[in-house]
Amino acid sequence: MVYSVLCAVIAILTVSMPSSHALWPMPKSLSTGSTPLKLTASQFKITTEFAETHGHSTNTPADLTQAIQRTTAHLQNDKMERLVVGGGAADKSAISSKQVKTINELSMSLVKGAVVRSIAEEAVLPLEQRNEAYELQVPADGSSATLTANTTLGLLRGLTTFEQLWYFVDGEVYTLEAPVEIADRPSYVYRGFMLDTARNFFPVSDIKRTLDAMSMAKLNTFHWHATDSQSFPLQVPGFTEVSAKGAYSASMVFTPDDVQDIVTYAGERGIDVLVEIDTPGHTMIIHESHPEHVACAQASPWSNFANEPPAGQLRLASPATANFTASLLHAAAHLFPSPFFSTGGDELNANCYDQDAETQQILNSTGQTLEQALSGFVGATHTALRSVGKTPVVWEEMVLDHDIELENDTVVMVWISSQNAAAVAEKNFRLVHGPSDYFYLDCGAGEWLGVDPTGNSWCDPFKTWSKSYTFDPMANISDANAHLVLGGEQLLWTEQSSPSNLDSIVWPRAASSAEIFWTGATLPDGSPRNVGTALPRLHDLRYRMVQRGIQAIALQPHFCAIRPEECDVNA
Amino acid sequence: MACHLRLILLVLSIPFVAALWPIPRGLSNGTTPLKLSSSFDIQASFKNVPSDLQDAIQRTKSHLKTDTFERLVVGRGSVDAQAIAHANSLKTLVLSLNHGAAVRPIAVEVNTVAIDARDESYSLSIPSHSAQATLVANSTLGLFRGLTTFDTMWYHNGGDKYILNAPVTITDSPAFPYRGFSFDTARNFYPVSDIKRTLDAMSWVKLSVMYWHIADSQSFPLQVKAFPELAAKGAYSNDEFYSESDVKDINQYANERGIDIVMELDSPGHTTAIGMAHPEHVACINKSPWTKYANEPPAGQLRIAVNATVEFSKTLFQSVIDLLTGTMMSSGGDEVNLPCWNEDEETIQALAQSNTTIGQALSSFVQEVQGVMAKNGKMPFIKSDMVLTHNVPVINGTGIVVWQSYADAVKVAQRGLRFIHQPSDYFYLDCGAGDWTGNNILGNSWCDPFKTWQRAYSFDPYANLTADQYSLVLGGQMPIWSEQSSLENLDPIVWPRLAAGAEVFWTGATLPDGEPRLGVNATNGVNAFARINELRFRLVDRGVKAIALQPKWCALRPGLCDADS
Repeated sequence: MVYSVLCAVIAILTVSMPSSHALWPMPKSLSTGSTPLKLTASQFKITTEFAETHGHSTNTPADLTQAIQRTTAHLQNDKMERLVVGGGAADKSAISSKQVKTINELSMSLVKGAVVRSIAEEAVLPLEQRNEAYELQVPADGSSATLTANTTLGLLRGLTTFEQLWYFVDGEVYTLEAPVEIADRPSYVYRGFMLDTARNFFPVSDIKRTLDAMSMAKLNTFHWHATDSQSFPLQVPGFTEVSAKGAYSASMVFTPDDVQDIVTYAGERGIDVLVEIDTPGHTMIIHESHPEHVACAQASPWSNFANEPPAGQLRLASPATANFTASLLHAAAHLFPSPFFSTGGDELNANCYDQDAETQQILNSTGQTLEQALSGFVGATHTALRSVGKTPVVWEEMVLDHDIELENDTVVMVWISSQNAAAVAEKNFRLVHGPSDYFYLDCGAGEWLGVDPTGNSWCDPFKTWSKSYTFDPMANISDANAHLVLGGEQLLWTEQSSPSNLDSIVWPRAASSAEIFWTGATLPDGSPRNVGTALPRLHDLRYRMVQRGIQAIALQPHFCAIRPEECDVNA
Repeated sequence: MACHLRLILLVLSIPFVAALWPIPRGLSNGTTPLKLSSSFDIQASFKNVPSDLQDAIQRTKSHLKTDTFERLVVGRGSVDAQAIAHANSLKTLVLSLNHGAAVRPIAVEVNTVAIDARDESYSLSIPSHSAQATLVANSTLGLFRGLTTFDTMWYHNGGDKYILNAPVTITDSPAFPYRGFSFDTARNFYPVSDIKRTLDAMSWVKLSVMYWHIADSQSFPLQVKAFPELAAKGAYSNDEFYSESDVKDINQYANERGIDIVMELDSPGHTTAIGMAHPEHVACINKSPWTKYANEPPAGQLRIAVNATVEFSKTLFQSVIDLLTGTMMSSGGDEVNLPCWNEDEETIQALAQSNTTIGQALSSFVQEVQGVMAKNGKMPFIKSDMVLTHNVPVINGTGIVVWQSYADAVKVAQRGLRFIHQPSDYFYLDCGAGDWTGNNILGNSWCDPFKTWQRAYSFDPYANLTADQYSLVLGGQMPIWSEQSSLENLDPIVWPRLAAGAEVFWTGATLPDGEPRLGVNATNGVNAFARINELRFRLVDRGVKAIALQPKWCALRPGLCDADS
């Protein structure tokens, strides 16, 4: 009786086990077979074959060569066992047959006529020129796999997919699902992750590890909320006093060399670095070096002057302050190759200015309203950025709550609520989804303010990966406005985060939106994406991240990870 | 102008915030800076110093060299450079035992003395102008607690270790003897090194018990001599189990740090993994839908009505007891599910044969395993629902783990039973991470929201109890259940929040000055936040990845990030 029940359970499980190819994000088009195929990691070659242009052969860009080396290293070091009961041992008999072929080569090429640029150059092209598409074939007969793309950036995405195909047991690297054929490209051009390095500081090494994890999930934009009221760690040439007095310590700064290091590292991984210097709110710390530019610095009670302590905003009505800010942003813009630069603009507090004598004096003397002054201030910063080729990015309040002039190509980030995206689109602005009700990684950790034992997180509850995963980028967006949706990002605000928990609070959750915005609404077989079939693949990504030294959180007991669907709510 | 005034007031009003956590129950201090001499040494004034006390002294000396924690003020350590430039130097700390005290290893004080009979008290005196500090206690365990206080009070700047508040006189002892951390190593596995790091951090906040929830339905990672097949088949892998020597190693490591191990063999529920080796002992194994047969997947419970299963369980308990020192053990007992047994043919048959009810079988099973513990001199612990929901009789001296709600404590007290507080509505470290079962998009954590350190810290161990029930409170513990935790996030999910419970049960219902810890009229919130921020930075300094409680801007400016500041 007991045994028969057990066996029945096991039999059912074996039959209903979904295909376990661990690809995340799921490619747009995918077909797999059921033939085992081995790969000898130490001998495996990845070759490039680029067409000659203008009669002479083209060298492989250095960052593509490095990407190939990383893939080779991952094939050797990943040691990722398939997530099944028994682990890799369960597959040993399947791959030990003499009939199992071994693949020796991945041959990469660009399509004929393609311009050969470095990955880093491709990653920061204007959005409409970026091309991340690729095609990958892994035959079952041991002949060379092929990867083709229009760009080196596409080749990088294909290499990332290729790495995820393989499992490990006892020195053997293998797949059970050859042949594999993939034709892939992203659904959305903007797939991001935002990190706040101002509430608490993160060293360059943590940012680089985060970029590595982002590239595993094919994210392409690192939105760097570099500064805020609590600290100003970004060292800007010509304005070094701002970080000298505004960073947490002399060692907690990002020097121009650090920025260059991060930007290069990101670019090599197909990631654009979109920096944000939030203005005119979230700037109290500039008061430490330039008290003349900041209104209501540390005014009390802070709740009358800001959404969180400490209060303090740039004196936007002051021509000297507008000039200072425009110059600061102009100088910072030179550090970043991205076509974008964010001037922030969230959570502006009017009372701060109402109580500020200097601001009132200027408004009275010029006859301007605060809104007019804001429009002038934002215009000044945006003009400065445009003069160096940057397209400005702003938070949603700049178009939804304020009546200011903005150029129509300005990109708007939606954060307060998913409900607000449609309104931004109706105003004909391009938008990036970052809604707190789906994508905020910091929600649910309780109140961080002192003397508030029953205080809760303002955006409670915690956003699970599955909640994020169900976000619909086109909800309430008219067909006519669909083209305005650039993509989206998950965000980490760091009031309660630091290097101690960076990986565990971000991963694997931030991969949820990576799949939404890469794969789109449907899976390769045309069925809607769903959390049921996604979970086993996300487990795979999580375990692979852990193998690579990223401290991604366990989504379930290991018992569940190796038994897909058995721990579903309705199982 | 208003702002500047406010800042000045705050600076003046900041109390003595040496990073003492838990705050000592008797503390007085001055305002004289004092440095540690470069030749600073710790000596014992008595002979035959046990080796674990010698090791503890070495660890303290090592911390005093390697800690680089700078005082949390704007400007950090450099702010104090001038104040300590000409400060007196402390050359020695002398440890002594009171007359008549036994000289025994710390581990022996921990694992042979009943929890309510241990003496953890100590007196520490640090003068402002003489070269010698003194630490006196009634036991090596007390000396160890005092050493912990001593080695978490110094600030670092350049080559100096200093305090600003000499002389310091501390007379300290815990309000409750049981101050614990409950650790689930079954839902996900943790290597020995992670457990040891956790024990280190626990000892720094004077916790006294690691309640080790070692096995559950998902895995059985404990190697047991009588039944090696349990781990062989029930552990997640050949690398993910605790060998007998691992358990002894952890036990010894804990005891030397003043921490007792209370091993919990959760039973009769939460035992599916036993069925991987012994399916004959487990009812409703992996049965679907799990929601009908268990509180979480997979379903499976010991066949309590079957004699062979009872005998198996007794042997299992005995075999685990043989592994461990210590005076306590737990049989768990939470969340048993009646439909699991009601639909199990073997159970139905066994009940019919013996003409008993499932309730009688449950009582009998509990008494049998409790009997094994009692026979071996272990104080048995059991989960509160066994008593409150199932009315299972427990043997004299049993400790109840009250877990479902803080309100259950009164009901347990009314039955005259001793207990520890582990209320899910204050102390569960895993709450608030959303639901973890699959295909449940809007599912929330069952014990939402997240329990902040402030929430845990506001717990009153005597709430709703009458004065004559106070003696029933042994203490309490904060648990981590590991469905959504693993070694990847162990430190950040546990620290520094676990320290909130450590201070609650060291200091008692109120702070030493009689003030409530937190609450509507509490005056200590600023001070407590400043101290726990310090503790957090000290933990990070010592390699424990404790989470940031606030932006660093706030940690450097006590009181400026309060809800009402």
